[in-house]
Amino acid sequence: MFPDFLSPQIISLIGQSTLDTLTMVAVAAGIGTFFGLPLGVFLATSKRGELFAAPAANALLGVLVNATRSTPFIILVVAIIPFTRLVAGTSIGTAAAIVPLTVAATPFIARLIEGAVREVDQGLVEAARAMGATPVQIVRKVLVPEALPAIVLGLTLALVSLIGFSAMVGAVGGGGLGDLGIRYGYQRFMPDVMATVVAVLIVLVQLVQSIGDRLARRLNKRLRHA
Amino acid sequence: MNAPVRPDAFGAGTLPISVPDPAIRFEAVGKTYPGRRGQQPVSALAGIDLAVPAGSILGVIGRSGAGKSTLIRLVNGLERATAGRILIEGEEVTGLNEAGWRKQRRRIGMIFQHFNLLSSRTVFDNVALPLEIAGTPRAAIAAKVERLLALVGLADKSARYPSELSGGQKQRVGIARALATDPKVLLCDEATSALDPETTRSILALLKQVNRELGITILLITHEIPVIKEICDRVAVIEDGRIVEQGETFSVFTNPQHPTTARFVEAVTGVEVPAHLEGQIRTQARDDDNLVLRITFTGENATAPVISRLSAVVGVDVNILAGRIDAIAGQPFGSLLVSIPSRLPESDAVLGALRTLGLKAEVIGHVS
Repeated sequence: MFPDFLSPQIISLIGQSTLDTLTMVAVAAGIGTFFGLPLGVFLATSKRGELFAAPAANALLGVLVNATRSTPFIILVVAIIPFTRLVAGTSIGTAAAIVPLTVAATPFIARLIEGAVREVDQGLVEAARAMGATPVQIVRKVLVPEALPAIVLGLTLALVSLIGFSAMVGAVGGGGLGDLGIRYGYQRFMPDVMATVVAVLIVLVQLVQSIGDRLARRLNKRLRHA
Repeated sequence: MNAPVRPDAFGAGTLPISVPDPAIRFEAVGKTYPGRRGQQPVSALAGIDLAVPAGSILGVIGRSGAGKSTLIRLVNGLERATAGRILIEGEEVTGLNEAGWRKQRRRIGMIFQHFNLLSSRTVFDNVALPLEIAGTPRAAIAAKVERLLALVGLADKSARYPSELSGGQKQRVGIARALATDPKVLLCDEATSALDPETTRSILALLKQVNRELGITILLITHEIPVIKEICDRVAVIEDGRIVEQGETFSVFTNPQHPTTARFVEAVTGVEVPAHLEGQIRTQARDDDNLVLRITFTGENATAPVISRLSAVVGVDVNILAGRIDAIAGQPFGSLLVSIPSRLPESDAVLGALRTLGLKAEVIGHVS
């Protein structure tokens, strides 16, 4: 599988780094979705005249989300170190790296989910209201199920972006493939390691994207048999 | 000095006459939208008085922007009236809070122009949705949905998704869904406007069946006069947020009072002057020309053998230029454009004979 010029130690390092990357991305995406889903739904339904109309809260959260999203990730990592230490008990290592990744992922996922929910035909919301549905029922039975294919595509995009972000957490000793590439491939001048790291990342991204696409297509009943 | 008033003068001694409450009643209802930043408030509806008798089908017709969309949404609280009262089965609903409206809405079904079915749910699950929302137990939902799908003729499409259905089938699912909670009232928001004429007829037939067999009162809005003609017992014509005319469909169609009504019904009752005669019709009589008449047949008279009688009794030649016989709200109605010799006394005799037959005849003009 690997070129024979890579030593067994390097190969095991690549394995460990891949595992670290996957762990960081999966946990950050999981927690990010846990918070991002309700946040995204709220952003999509709380403007004036909408289901949970709360224009002030909507505007405030919008600013907060934008602020987080416009901060370059590498700066965010450093800026929230005190918070990271508070949550993870340390500011160094893979566990600590999950904190800034999650902080970056949550607003990103929220915006993607907001977009997906806003795409749902307002006629469906009206129909559900006409049935006597409560706002919570409308979210659970109409908005989220109808937006699900778009949500899955959004989460796929978020996962791919997180794989990219995770390469930067090496700056705080986060480990993972990006860190490996920088420390061995670049600083120790081992181009074969660098090439392998890039190849693994490409395969990961391809895998995530094609699984996401396939899942979204299966969930989308709109043009299935057209 | 005031006359003494007897205690029973206000009906204490008279028999109480019980008139059933109309299914829906609008009393001086208005709807005004607040103006956006510095703009004047916009009045969408004003002074709406309308009663939909229980068990009837009432159609509101108007052009787009006339306010019919707002009107129908006031009935289930998707829009709130800003003036007047709305009563459903005698119970006032204006002033209900959101929770009160939610309860009310389960008694009112609604179908839509674009069907508004959930693409992520099968036909079965779409019809089940209002029952899930109402908290009906699973087993009861299954039995109910099967029955409804059989009613609308889609029992075999239960596991399909809306994207696999035709427009007419989608609307049938919409109707089944609207009936799921056993409503007393069905609101139809341009329910056939996205359908072709043939499918429209089949959906209208289904609505009529639902009305007759289940006794459900239907309030529909449309811009298509054939819809009114086909199934509505009563019609209201709306323009610029006001009802300009209302009444039984047949009498409104055969004797429209308002110009807007006249324009609408023209399309289904009127007979146009054929193109080759247009421009040849003069208002001034000349020697030896013919009189063009429009004869209107209503009710029983619609089937009278008028032309042969005119020829036989008066002895004039009647030349038919154009005509149509149709049914409005189930009653026959016809209109005929004819020409007769305009010389006296024959023309007078013809007009007299038509009057005797109880037909309406108007002189359109003269042709040579």
